[in-house]
Amino acid sequence: MRPIVKVEGISKRFRIQPREAPSVRYPTLRESLVKMARSPFARNRMNGGSDGTVWALRDVTFEVMPGEVMGIIGPNGAGKSTLLKILSRIIEPTSGRVELYGRVASLLEVGTGFHPDLSGRENVFLNGAILGMKRREIESKFDEIVAFADVGKFIDTAVKHYSSGMYLRLAFAVTAHLDPEVLIVDEVLAVGDGNFQRKCLQKMDDVTRSGRTVLLVTHSLGMVTQHCQRALLLDGGLIVTSGSAQAVVDYYDAMCDQMRSTEADELAASSAP
Amino acid sequence: MFATKTTNRSSLDRNNEQSDVLYDLPDKPLLTIEARKSWVPLNLRDLWACRELLYFLMWRDIKVRYKQTVLGAAWAVIQPLVTMIIFTYFFGKLAKVPTDGVPYPIFFYTGLLLWTFFSNGVSSGANSLIGNSNLITKVYFPRLIIPSAAIGAGLLDFAIASILLIGLLVYYGFPVTLGYLMLLPLVGLTTVLALGVGIWFSALNVKYRDVRYALPFLIQMWLFVSPIIYPLSLVPEEWRWAMWLNPVTGIVEAFRCALFGRPFLWAPLGYSFVFSLVMLAYGAYAFRRMERTFAELI
Repeated sequence: MRPIVKVEGISKRFRIQPREAPSVRYPTLRESLVKMARSPFARNRMNGGSDGTVWALRDVTFEVMPGEVMGIIGPNGAGKSTLLKILSRIIEPTSGRVELYGRVASLLEVGTGFHPDLSGRENVFLNGAILGMKRREIESKFDEIVAFADVGKFIDTAVKHYSSGMYLRLAFAVTAHLDPEVLIVDEVLAVGDGNFQRKCLQKMDDVTRSGRTVLLVTHSLGMVTQHCQRALLLDGGLIVTSGSAQAVVDYYDAMCDQMRSTEADELAASSAP
Repeated sequence: MFATKTTNRSSLDRNNEQSDVLYDLPDKPLLTIEARKSWVPLNLRDLWACRELLYFLMWRDIKVRYKQTVLGAAWAVIQPLVTMIIFTYFFGKLAKVPTDGVPYPIFFYTGLLLWTFFSNGVSSGANSLIGNSNLITKVYFPRLIIPSAAIGAGLLDFAIASILLIGLLVYYGFPVTLGYLMLLPLVGLTTVLALGVGIWFSALNVKYRDVRYALPFLIQMWLFVSPIIYPLSLVPEEWRWAMWLNPVTGIVEAFRCALFGRPFLWAPLGYSFVFSLVMLAYGAYAFRRMERTFAELI
């Protein structure tokens, strides 16, 4: 059984510069001299690294089997979105390697590329093209997309006049009709009213049941246990644990409880006279 | 190839009964992602595969430009027309700039037409990445498409404004010459030059926002060192070589020669040709090298 997504030793370092102008290459001699002259005793930045770097991901290695739904969970700032961005080719890793054996589509945001002055119809084509669909594909699926979005006769009005609900429904309708082998989803389901969320979950169910591989980043542990077979727990850029969805969720719960009780203890200790 | 699955699997079954037979994975990965070394390939195949997106982005830029306007695409003619009238009065009549025996309006308009396309292309190209930052941080596609679409969208304005040129040629009675064969290639060459400069500046703009302020100034100065408002013959003989160093000079002069039935100056045109190609190659290469950090810097 070969994996469809193979991640090996992915690490990502971000540099945080004290000045406004970021410089990715090593600073020039002139810049280094100026930096030394300005603050000869500059302290180390909080996240380690004397020149102000942050390791968002450190040596992340895992495999995803075809047809699997893998959940990625972790506290804020764990590096989940950075990992997804690397898998979606938006950011380059500092080191490591990813091998993809299937076509990938990423949903990092709903309504990417929507232009407020264009009509719903025009935006469907634009959004579809941006997400990688061919024009013929969009044309053949157009009626389904419009029906799914349920915006009725407003399909030909400029989307800046849409209510936020209509906007979301239309945006999601396009993404719901993507047809990749591997789908990467980043918490897009966090917004919208109850109706919308239900529609999204329904579509997610269809997608997973049809055998697509899905990588899902979410804060909703219920979603992980309900829809995912395996899960990954990230914290501080490292994989803390991985395994069956239920086991990882339980571990995460325990971890959070542990943190909460430690905080409570510290609070009690500091406020005691 | 991705084989279809049978439909009656429950999610519990899947864990236990997967087999290689149902999933036909390729032997080699479709895509490998890793940190790139310094030499970055241009990846023309990727670009070609995304040509529909290029078309869609151009279409979007064009549609949005004239939405909710009363005059719509007429603006593409009104602007150069009014500019021509004003310049004809001040430079043609009052300052009496000599124009090699051709009436000032049409002399100026031929230069203006090409120059407007080139300068608008470079400006919109240079700002295109910053303007599309929402796309760059959320979706992947070859980023070269963005400035290319911005410059390509200018071709439509060029086409509309050239209607007025045709009108002027008819009005002044210039005959169709063999030189007309060179018109499309010259427009193509201008596009190549605009692409080269625009792509390079668009990449620089992401890292150094100075470009946004320096570029309008640079373009304005470039206008004055090109024979648009005045003819090349105005420049004394011993300094003319400095004018030829500007690639736009070669193209504009050739454009005028083609329209007015004069003999071509092949050497300067050849120089412009080589310069434009080199600029495009360099601009694209520099872009690809800087591309890996766009999403982080933008």
